[in-house]
Amino acid sequence: MRNGGENRSRLLLVILIVSALFLITLDLRGVNVIDGLRSGTQTALSPFQRAGNVVLTPVKNFVNDITHLGRTRNQIEDLRRQNQKLREQLILRKNQDGEIEQLKSILDLAGTASFKIVSAKVIAQGSSLAFTRTITIDAGSGNGIKKNMTVISGNGLVGVVKEVFANSSIVMLATDPAFRVGVRIAGSQQIGILAGLGSSSANLQLLDNQTTIKVGDILLARGSVNSQPFVPGVPVGRVTSVSNAAGAVTQSATVRYFANFGSLGIVSVVVKAPKADPRDALAPVKPVPTPIPTVTVFVTPTPSTSASSN
Amino acid sequence: MFLRRFGVTGTIFTFFFIAQEALVSQLTFPAGGFSIFLILTLLWAAISTPEVAAAVGFGAGLLLDLSPSTSGPLGHWTLILVLMCYAIAFLSYGDENMRGNPLSLILMVTLAQVIVLVSYLITGFLLGNIATSFAQTLITVIGSGFWTLVVTPLMLPAVIWLHDQAFDSRMRI
Repeated sequence: MRNGGENRSRLLLVILIVSALFLITLDLRGVNVIDGLRSGTQTALSPFQRAGNVVLTPVKNFVNDITHLGRTRNQIEDLRRQNQKLREQLILRKNQDGEIEQLKSILDLAGTASFKIVSAKVIAQGSSLAFTRTITIDAGSGNGIKKNMTVISGNGLVGVVKEVFANSSIVMLATDPAFRVGVRIAGSQQIGILAGLGSSSANLQLLDNQTTIKVGDILLARGSVNSQPFVPGVPVGRVTSVSNAAGAVTQSATVRYFANFGSLGIVSVVVKAPKADPRDALAPVKPVPTPIPTVTVFVTPTPSTSASSN
Repeated sequence: MFLRRFGVTGTIFTFFFIAQEALVSQLTFPAGGFSIFLILTLLWAAISTPEVAAAVGFGAGLLLDLSPSTSGPLGHWTLILVLMCYAIAFLSYGDENMRGNPLSLILMVTLAQVIVLVSYLITGFLLGNIATSFAQTLITVIGSGFWTLVVTPLMLPAVIWLHDQAFDSRMRI
């Protein structure tokens, strides 16, 4: 019985193997029925596959998100790093553009006056809590800078060198309350003393009671003996208001500095003054007001309809 | 009796085939994934007589050959599964240590799955199928073995229950 069963199973196995080989042969010979069977299976399966796809899409998306979580996070981190780097480059570029602009204006000014200058970067500002207005620049005695040299920006006077170290210097700004500079008015050549007030404005005291000043007058540095601490001809500021107090011996005025002390990036120290006084050559040109065009409209009255009907 | 068994078995295999094609095949698993249809076939063969196993292997192989995702000639899967199912049933038939131990069944099915895939690759190569790279093939085979090892214990109780329903038998595992 057992042998009979084994024989039967072997016979069945042989039949099935032969059937499989027969199918393989038919397929390899390119019988069309085989392709039809597969396309029929696909047709029957496609609704189930579509339904399965609908059911599984959220699951697949979820699994995909989970499996790509680390990669996505890495990509985000990379992009953040790149973004940060680009932002830093942009800020640096803007900063450099600003410095280049400042340097260019300083060179223009120094070139016009034939000043020999040493340009330096502002590396620190003095604490306002110390009640002084100072900046620290990255040039010192090693660059030929000495005490009491004039410091300028592209717009005009910035201050004077107060302390010199090997690689840095401290500059007293013109806004410092202890700052004093002899000035003259461009054009009229009247002279006076300008004193810092701790802000972007300064107080001008004329020395001669016979002269008058007016709003808009431009002040230039008068210059010191041997051009120290101040070289002559450096633009200082513009008169914004004049005080005519009764009983005052001389006129006084409020002056607004040309230099923008809030955005000092590059300044220059005048290490050698020109042999000749530049006089008013460095005085900035007064702004010319742009004329506003006037529009004239001519209106011609037309006869009213009621009048014509009458 | 024969028609009932044939009908129930056919329905179960068709259901698993559709589930495999419509659901499992659409999911992407690391290192190749698994086939619940192949696991069902091998498990069914492992707890059946050699005749039934060979017949089941033939039917399952035919269904796999008809699958649109199959690249080999019709009869390729049929040949492999007939031989493998018969071999599993022949080895385990009458050995209660083998059939009564779920761990043995799981390991046997996993091993059989790997052998089936390797056989399919080798015969496919002989029949002129384009083979992928060796490394990729190795990863797929090993991955499939791993996933089969993971999934088979989950399917084992259900398959045994279905087998009992189809053949009115009471297996004790």
